[in-house]
Amino acid sequence: MVQAQNIGFKVGDRYLVSGVNATFAPGQLHLIIGANGAGKSTLVKLLSRLLTPADGRVLYDEQDVARATERDLARRRAVLSQAIEVAFPLSVREVVMMGRYPHFGTRPTVHDVEIVNEVMRFFEVTGMAERSYPTLSGGEKQRVNFARVLAQVWRPVAGHHRVLFLDEPLTFLDIRHQIDFMKKVRETVRAGDMVVIGVVHDLNLAARFADRLLLLSEGRVLAEGTSADVLTPMNIRAAFGIEPIVTTAPGGGTHLIFD
Amino acid sequence: MRKWLLLAIVAWTAACGRFGNAAGSSGETERAVVISQAYTEIIWALGAQDHVVGVDYSSTWPPEVKNVTTVGYHRALSAEGILSLKPTVIITDGNIGPPQVVEQLKQLNVPFKTFTAKNDSLEGAKALMREMGAYFHKEARAEELCRKLDADMARALEEAKQHTDHPRVAVIHYGRASNIYLLVGASGGGDASAAGQMVRWAGGEMAIQQAGMQRMTSPEIVARANPDVVLMTEFGYDRLSGSKDKILELPGVSTSNAAKNGRIYRVEEHDLMYFGPSTGEGVQKLVKLIHQAP
Amino acid sequence: MKASRTTGLLLALTALMIATVLASIRFGAIDFPLHQMWSSTRAVLAGRTPDTLDGRIFTELRLPRAILCVFVGASLGVGGTLMQALFRNPIVEPGLVGTSSGAAFGASLYFVLGTVLHVEQAAWTLPAAACAGGILSTWMVFALAESGGDRRASIVMLLLTGLAVNALFLSGIGFLSYIARDPQARSIVFWNLGTLSGATWRSVAIVGAVTTLGTLASLVYAKQLNALMIGEEEATYLGVNVRRLKWIVLAINVAIVAVATAFTGVISFVGLIVPHILRMLRGADNRFLIIASAIFGGTLLSLADLIARVALRPAELPIGIVTSVVGVPVFLSLLRRRQYVF
Repeated sequence: MVQAQNIGFKVGDRYLVSGVNATFAPGQLHLIIGANGAGKSTLVKLLSRLLTPADGRVLYDEQDVARATERDLARRRAVLSQAIEVAFPLSVREVVMMGRYPHFGTRPTVHDVEIVNEVMRFFEVTGMAERSYPTLSGGEKQRVNFARVLAQVWRPVAGHHRVLFLDEPLTFLDIRHQIDFMKKVRETVRAGDMVVIGVVHDLNLAARFADRLLLLSEGRVLAEGTSADVLTPMNIRAAFGIEPIVTTAPGGGTHLIFD
Repeated sequence: MRKWLLLAIVAWTAACGRFGNAAGSSGETERAVVISQAYTEIIWALGAQDHVVGVDYSSTWPPEVKNVTTVGYHRALSAEGILSLKPTVIITDGNIGPPQVVEQLKQLNVPFKTFTAKNDSLEGAKALMREMGAYFHKEARAEELCRKLDADMARALEEAKQHTDHPRVAVIHYGRASNIYLLVGASGGGDASAAGQMVRWAGGEMAIQQAGMQRMTSPEIVARANPDVVLMTEFGYDRLSGSKDKILELPGVSTSNAAKNGRIYRVEEHDLMYFGPSTGEGVQKLVKLIHQAP
Repeated sequence: MKASRTTGLLLALTALMIATVLASIRFGAIDFPLHQMWSSTRAVLAGRTPDTLDGRIFTELRLPRAILCVFVGASLGVGGTLMQALFRNPIVEPGLVGTSSGAAFGASLYFVLGTVLHVEQAAWTLPAAACAGGILSTWMVFALAESGGDRRASIVMLLLTGLAVNALFLSGIGFLSYIARDPQARSIVFWNLGTLSGATWRSVAIVGAVTTLGTLASLVYAKQLNALMIGEEEATYLGVNVRRLKWIVLAINVAIVAVATAFTGVISFVGLIVPHILRMLRGADNRFLIIASAIFGGTLLSLADLIARVALRPAELPIGIVTSVVGVPVFLSLLRRRQYVF
């Protein structure tokens, strides 16, 4: 479980995030939504400990995350961002293996090699294992990165829940790949006992895949709960400045139409 | 057994110790590496060139010198390169580098020879020629060279007196190491003073008064000096393929009287840049050059 | 890439280096016959001074030069690999953080002012001046790059600051050669093109020690440098302390490059060519690249020095010219590739 207790973060005098309280339970897909500049990315960075909060604290399984060591944290918390740009001819396998770096010293163990193979199978990138990463398409790169990030937290760690962050991972992906990706995310969430927290822009994607939504506006939490709870016309108008028409999707979930 | 070994070692060391001998003490052929333009010219003038096995890159006069192996630029020598010629002595005027190479050569007991006399004046040049003549056992020839120098100079001064004009002369030298053109001043250390003196003997006036040599960067210097005649040393002149246009591109040259009247001439370094056996002839050539009708 | 193939490649590279070094020892202004090489080497190992002048040339000039060449080549090769990993960019050279230009400035200062200040012309004063210059310029790059608001030296900041400091020191050198009297100016130019001619056993010991220690130290960080290849944030998430890594790796780079430059002048492009070729052979894993760069760097520089000594013998080309002739086309071909991102 991940908790944010009244956290705040500022640059200069300006607060990017303030007074945020939230709880993220394992086994569920939590998605953070909001307008540009609402503080989504900052919040994720605070939760993942890339940034240190000026106020409040972040807890992982009720322990202050600031107290964990880098190495220890890296074994149970992984972050997937937009597809990385690599200027060197790394092979897909080498990139995925980097996810195991926090787990071995100089040489990967048989165990690590096994995990990499499993993960590559899960994401169907085994066929391109020896290809050079820079030569892949956007969609392929993101699958490889997802594989790398998951490889980092593939196995459960005693006494802790694993935490997976997805920081706007759908940027640069076309619609087909976005859907594929989100389906894989859902598979991952269902498969294990991880806390999964992501940031997406597309409200309908969020509505379709999230178990719980967190709506941010100007650095504060505007609403939290299920899609139906959060995606109300009033909330959307307050957060995005635009009025939606709320309908029901064929599968039964909330669907927003914008004029 | 040990006695024989000791004898052998002593004999061997004595044999090798010959490298440490002062050069020229025996009558045999020297193998000299000469690192100085002026020294090279003098050695050839003395007829002692059989002793020379290598010269530095700047030694280019007389023309036969170009057939001798060069060991590189005098400030960027290589120890091994010099040693591969198996020299018995390295003759240098002190302008030699890099320092670590000099160190290495000294450590290997290669003898160095510098002459006490300095060719920074006519008298100095004569003293140098005599000293080198003594060193190479060509004393008689050295005396001849001195007499010739005096005679040439006397004639040069006579011819100079025939002219009443005193053209303003700018001398442009080429610095090979840094690939730049240099303006030679009227006085100052080393090469600069020789050129200044010779121009004055030839009846000219140095357009650039500032001492020493300076880079040609600001066109104003030459423009203000406004020389009537421009003399370029051969390396720089040939680099521009003797093309008047390219020479005019050098800062400040195009607006000068010299450019307007086409009085830009090529001069060989040995005729202008240092005092040596051919200085007298050099001044004679200068007299003709700078007083030439445009 | 199977581990055995990597080992095979490393062995091949080592064999190539040994062959090149032997050729470098054998040929030059003087070509030593094999029996001469053998007897002189035995003399050195036994601690004796050889009897003949040729023997002494071999042991006091040729051998130390060949070995110094390997160490300098290694330091430049490793420096290139470290820099490229740190800057996440294959068109980066050890000199980019100002080390080479600073070292060259220190040397130029020594040439121009040394005589004026009557500085003793000992064998060590020039390298000391160059080292001081290299440390000063590199320190400046860091102090300036880290002085931004959040005190974090991002790689882009380092790159830009390095460019600025380089420009500063290069114009400083330009100014010095401008005010220098002619003979001094000539010395500056020739030193700035690099030369191995001052090699002594002492310099071999110093450069050898620093290069070996530096290479071994950087191996410790090889895995972390790998992680850095996919991004600073990503590396942080993998548990790497990026800020500390940058400082340490840069310190190693400065040490090995400044010391090498102090004894041999500015030699360019080795740090660019070596990792580039190795990556084409084996990929970008730094655990391989660092060792291979040391070996291959030593090989390439030995080859360059051989050419420099033989092409115009008995005169010598400045080695910087040889490395530039090979390096510039490589640099241009790197520029033209689209797949490298800045």
